Amino acid sequence: MIKKLNGKTCGYIAAVAVLLLSFLLTGCGSDDTPKAENGKEKVTIALWGNDLLENYAPYLCRQFPDVEFEFVLATNSIDYYRYLNEHGDLPDIMTVRRFSMRDAMTMKDVLYDLSNTDLADTYYGTYLDNYTYSDGTVNWLPVCAEVDNIIVNKTLFEENGIPLPTDYDSFIAACQAFEAKGIMGFYPDYGQDYCCMEVLQGFGAEYLYTMEGREWRQQYESGHTDQLDEKVWLPVFARFFDLKEKTGIQPEAATEMNFVQKNRFTAGKLAMYRGTGNDLITFTGRAGKNDEVVLMPYFGTEKKDDWYLTYPAFQVAAAKKGMENPERKKLILNIMQAMLSQEGQNNISHGKNMVSYTKDVKLELLPELDNLRPYIAENKMYIRLASTDMFKVSKSVVHGIIKGELKTPQEALEAFNEQMNADPAQEPVVVHIDKGYSHEFTSRHGNQAASAIYNTIRKKLAVDMVFVQSCYVSGDIYAGDYTERQLSYLTHTDAAWPMLARLTGDQVYEMVEKTFALKSGYGVISNDSTLYVSSGFEMDIARNGDGSYKLNRLTRNGKELDRNGVYTIILMGDRNWTNQLMITKMGITDFSYDIDKCNVQLYDYLVKEGGKLEEPTDYITIN
Amino acid sequence: MKLSLQRFTKNDVSRHVAPVLFSIMLAFALIGGVVHLRSFMMEQMVNERSAQLEELIGQIRLNLRYGIAAHWNVVSGLDEALHRKHYANSQELLDIIGDLEGKFRLDLYSSRIMLLESTGTVYTRDGDMGIWDDIKFVAGGNSRYIFVTDTSNVKGTYLAFAQKLEQPIVTDSGRVITHLILLKDIASVKKYYDTESFGGHAATYIIQKNGTLAYYDADEDDVIGVRNIYKALGEYEYVRGRNFAQVRESLAENGIATANIMLNGTEYYYCLTRMKDYDLTVMMLIPAEYVAISTRSMMESTFQAQMAFTIILLLLLVLAVVSVVKVQRSSQLVKVEQEANHELNRLRIAAEDALHVAEAANKSKSVFLSNMSHDIRTPMNAVIGFATLALTNLEQQDKVKDYLSKILSASNHLLSLINDILDMSRIESGKIQLDEMEANLSDMLHDIKDIIGGQVQAKSLELYMDVIDVADEDVYCDRTRLNQVLLNLLSNAIKFTPPGGTVSVRIAQLHGAAEGKGMYEIRVKDNGIGMSQEFAAKIFEPFERERTSTVSKIQGTGLGMAITKNIIDMMGGTIEVITEQDKGTEFVIRLEMRLRSAKKTSFRIQELEGLKALVVDDDFNTCDSVTKMLVKVGMRSEWTMFGKEAVLRARQSIELDDAFHVYIIDWRLPDVNGVEVTRQIRALGDDTPIIIMTAYDWNDIEEEARAAGVTAFCAKPMFMSDLRDSLLTALGQQREKHTAVLAARSSNTSYEGKRLLLAEDNEMNREIACEILGDYGLLVETAENGAKAVEMVAKSQPGYYDMVLMDIQMPVLNGHEATVRIRQLPDKALACIPIVAMTANAFDEDRKEAEKHGMNGFISKPINMKEVMEALSSFLR
Repeated sequence: MIKKLNGKTCGYIAAVAVLLLSFLLTGCGSDDTPKAENGKEKVTIALWGNDLLENYAPYLCRQFPDVEFEFVLATNSIDYYRYLNEHGDLPDIMTVRRFSMRDAMTMKDVLYDLSNTDLADTYYGTYLDNYTYSDGTVNWLPVCAEVDNIIVNKTLFEENGIPLPTDYDSFIAACQAFEAKGIMGFYPDYGQDYCCMEVLQGFGAEYLYTMEGREWRQQYESGHTDQLDEKVWLPVFARFFDLKEKTGIQPEAATEMNFVQKNRFTAGKLAMYRGTGNDLITFTGRAGKNDEVVLMPYFGTEKKDDWYLTYPAFQVAAAKKGMENPERKKLILNIMQAMLSQEGQNNISHGKNMVSYTKDVKLELLPELDNLRPYIAENKMYIRLASTDMFKVSKSVVHGIIKGELKTPQEALEAFNEQMNADPAQEPVVVHIDKGYSHEFTSRHGNQAASAIYNTIRKKLAVDMVFVQSCYVSGDIYAGDYTERQLSYLTHTDAAWPMLARLTGDQVYEMVEKTFALKSGYGVISNDSTLYVSSGFEMDIARNGDGSYKLNRLTRNGKELDRNGVYTIILMGDRNWTNQLMITKMGITDFSYDIDKCNVQLYDYLVKEGGKLEEPTDYITIN
Repeated sequence: MKLSLQRFTKNDVSRHVAPVLFSIMLAFALIGGVVHLRSFMMEQMVNERSAQLEELIGQIRLNLRYGIAAHWNVVSGLDEALHRKHYANSQELLDIIGDLEGKFRLDLYSSRIMLLESTGTVYTRDGDMGIWDDIKFVAGGNSRYIFVTDTSNVKGTYLAFAQKLEQPIVTDSGRVITHLILLKDIASVKKYYDTESFGGHAATYIIQKNGTLAYYDADEDDVIGVRNIYKALGEYEYVRGRNFAQVRESLAENGIATANIMLNGTEYYYCLTRMKDYDLTVMMLIPAEYVAISTRSMMESTFQAQMAFTIILLLLLVLAVVSVVKVQRSSQLVKVEQEANHELNRLRIAAEDALHVAEAANKSKSVFLSNMSHDIRTPMNAVIGFATLALTNLEQQDKVKDYLSKILSASNHLLSLINDILDMSRIESGKIQLDEMEANLSDMLHDIKDIIGGQVQAKSLELYMDVIDVADEDVYCDRTRLNQVLLNLLSNAIKFTPPGGTVSVRIAQLHGAAEGKGMYEIRVKDNGIGMSQEFAAKIFEPFERERTSTVSKIQGTGLGMAITKNIIDMMGGTIEVITEQDKGTEFVIRLEMRLRSAKKTSFRIQELEGLKALVVDDDFNTCDSVTKMLVKVGMRSEWTMFGKEAVLRARQSIELDDAFHVYIIDWRLPDVNGVEVTRQIRALGDDTPIIIMTAYDWNDIEEEARAAGVTAFCAKPMFMSDLRDSLLTALGQQREKHTAVLAARSSNTSYEGKRLLLAEDNEMNREIACEILGDYGLLVETAENGAKAVEMVAKSQPGYYDMVLMDIQMPVLNGHEATVRIRQLPDKALACIPIVAMTANAFDEDRKEAEKHGMNGFISKPINMKEVMEALSSFLR
């Protein structure tokens, strides 16, 4: 006979039933896909450079409205990802511009093999072969090719009656003819490691791409040697010594950055400098002149020895972790597909100065790049050898040559090989950080890692405020020992130029509001992960229906910001943003760029001055 | 219930239950046996399939190895030739590319040359092709690479044989050529792995060392469909036991491996072979259902039989328990009924088949008659027409002569038409049986060369015959029929090639023949007018002749190729045609022939063991083949394609004290002819034997050649036996074959005064025969039937008649009976008289029948004087 159940028993049964049902509905209670605070599936993408924040990040947000992207600006090297992997913290999708198969090999076990995906199928076989390991694995895929060569003001040549160069000798002759007229001939930005490396390799391409050169390169890329071959490289150094002597490179050139040369070029004081297709596009010409500029190759002994230098705009890879879940894998591959699609590539550097590696993507070449076409047809494109060591050692040796410390090509070669032997594992610990902070954005606390870093910077520079996009901090801060290199990984080193300004409270309001109102371009906010972090003041903001943000009010130490008060503030970001915002839109004149970059500040404070990392603050409230 | 149970005693139980238990146990045992058998058979089938595939892939590996070796030989030859010249600029390099491609006949290898400059620029005969996309494949530092290349530099997909030049070529203008690359059209690689074993369902993958796909070849879509094949193979489910790690291990150890996998729900077998030292792995992927079909069907039949047997046994067991008698009766009835139904069904199918056959035959007959009517009427029309014209123009001798020559031509055509029609009809009705006999391929080819030599010369054509890697030349085959096939093809080639053209025959022994057999490939090629593809598709159908302005001028019955195809089919071979209009035609026959294993003797010549020989021929293939044969003889062999170099090498070898012991030199060389080379070698004081090999008759040059110091001659095609004979002759151990042959040919027999008895019932035929034979000085007596002939012979004195020409179909006594009676004559001298059948029954069976009745020879009618003279020379000597 069935006994009638009492209410309490019925309650237990109902609870168990609900529990069971919920287990069943949620796949036995375990969903390992990362979720953001708002419930959306979270995908972390490390972007190699801040250019990609401009159009590329917003494009991805539009394509995948159900995904909460966490964008971080990564240090542009495979070493950095290796460091993240040591902490089990690899982003879902990674991008890197400085790439060599030699460096990438060390990451093979933790990256997803793309060889049999539809993504790999879209590539021309010959390009994909360059990314295939000896066991057929493909981890990294290149996105469209960037060209990086000699930007020439053709009009300036015509004005001065100097013929355009066709080979190395006529190039030197042109440089000397300009010097005689008081105009600099060719002067690149030797302050940048990539410039040192590219100029060295570019003018040496005719030697590096001989059969012997290619054989050596294959040995180097496959890890069989870390020493430069004398027969191949000695003529390369000899050519650079010749260039130094004949174009009169001065020791101070070792500190000059790209914008210095760009400014000289724009002012008509320089006829040729090293630059990319993007530099060509953005060149506005001398004031009042309708300058015609062209991109010319690195010149060789004869015209047939001229080569254009090229490299992929960046490489993209996915972490293996998480790909065992078929749904997650599908999503990650779909995102990568969108990154590599026609529209995706159009959003990289305007899609006009690039050459595509994939079959179904056609990119437009600007008329200024017309003289590139026969070289593409003939395949006379030198792909730079871009291992981490190459960047580092090229800069050191080229500076040694420029400063006169290295006196002969043989000495330069030996110095290069000596430094190539250096073991990064032997680098000393320079600082210990006691407490770690997460980079993940929450609406209550914002980005705690970014807040800690910029509170520290504010203290170091003794300013009232700091305002910077939180994604310029590359990831979590781990508690533990740091080498100099690891410390630099905390912040994006390349593009965040600190600008020191003095603003009133009203102007601070205006600055924040105008920044939030940006719809595209440098400084634009795509989502929570690209929101700004503030130090020295707090932001109360609200979400608009279209995904943008609106400022409600600003406070300082919890109190309403004094609109009449005057504050010293550090803005960090791309100069295109700071210049546009502060100078063009707000008419600020009281500012300075004469401040070291964030990584230098952080190193000086924590290492040289023995300071401690500041605690983060709750700098943002989102309603 | 309880009570009834009690009624069963222990004995009752054991009596009733025991048989049931026994039956159940037996049933289980049988079912168990069947299951075990099934599993055993499945395992055996996997083993058998794997074994078959291993054999196949092993063969492919061997083919590839030989193919690769041959191409490297070409590359070495090119390397050597390239270094022989000095280059002022890159244009001269481009020129030499074209020259060498022609000289080395690279079109035969579907290959072209590419030179790689130190800067990465590649050059083909078309010029500067830019920086090579695939330069990475040769930048590993090794001296040789093989890989698939498919770049924008050169249109097409190729297998590249890249050789790093030990001494880079430096032009005066400063260009440095570092690599020589032979680009072989990938489609032409197919012959190394092509197999017909799986009904066209085998897909081929060429895979790079890193496991990625370089080339896919199959009629169907790629079922794997990804780039990284090894990765995919590592992820598939393996059906029986193996995994991909083991496969790779086996591949690394043995160079081959096989396994079976499940792919989209279907079982597939794959086999891999890797060419050591090269970036070249070949994989075949075949659906399991096409692997070892016959073994599978045999095993399935066996299993079904076993199953049927078991089921019947079980049924019988069950039925026996119920009611043996009843079941037996009913089963008999069922069986009878089934058999009756089966028989009825069989008869119905047979009747339907017969109807189909009859209908088809009727249709064929109509088509045949229609064609016949046209083809016979045409020459008959000419015969009657010109005969009428001749009659009306008797007084104009020139015209009559012209008409008669046209009548003769039309009659000859009519005769060949009738011969072909009869041959064809006998082949189709299955009356022709192949008569396998001992044959020597060398003899056959040389005979054929002699036969067609006249036609070739008359038409001012060049005839090349060569031999590639034929290790077994003694075979069993129907020599007559094979001759017929080759003569058919060659006479076509001659017919359709304009003067000045080239006809070539190449025989090669392929790998892959069954034990005790040899697989031969015979290629008959011309550079004549060729055919349209539409026509080539139906060339083997009877009465097909292409109707074009050129061809319609050329006579033919349209049956030759059909007969050829039928004969090849009967021999179990294949024939295919490759043709292009205005370019030429090539027929390729592949034929398996039984080897005369007893004839297999050692090729080695003790006296020449380890000694050095030099082969000089402008054709690389000949050099290669003769070199291989010399190695079999036991010699060390070198080769060159240039006469001047031969002299240079001779000098060097003498100076280095490692002189050559035999020279084998082609008569016609591009720079200096063979006789001149001989003269120059002799001038060095070298008295080594020199053999001149030639595709031409050497009578005209023999005297000059001997004076220059030539030791012996050898005619192309040069088989192993020819080479051995030439070497032995050169060593003085054998009389020169050629001299004997020449002596035999030069004896010119006269038949003046010889007497023949002609037994022939038809008066007109008698008259024609008497007239023709009389013209040759023969005395002819006639008999109108067999009985009369017997009587005339019996009454004659021995030696009165030198020979009897005997018709077969005669009244009173036919030719066969008459011959038997003559052979039975008491006078042995009369009984042994040569009797040659002369009959319109011209088939092989007739020939055999004549032989059986004691006749010595056989001539078919109408009388062909060449045949008669040959018979006379045999019997009237």
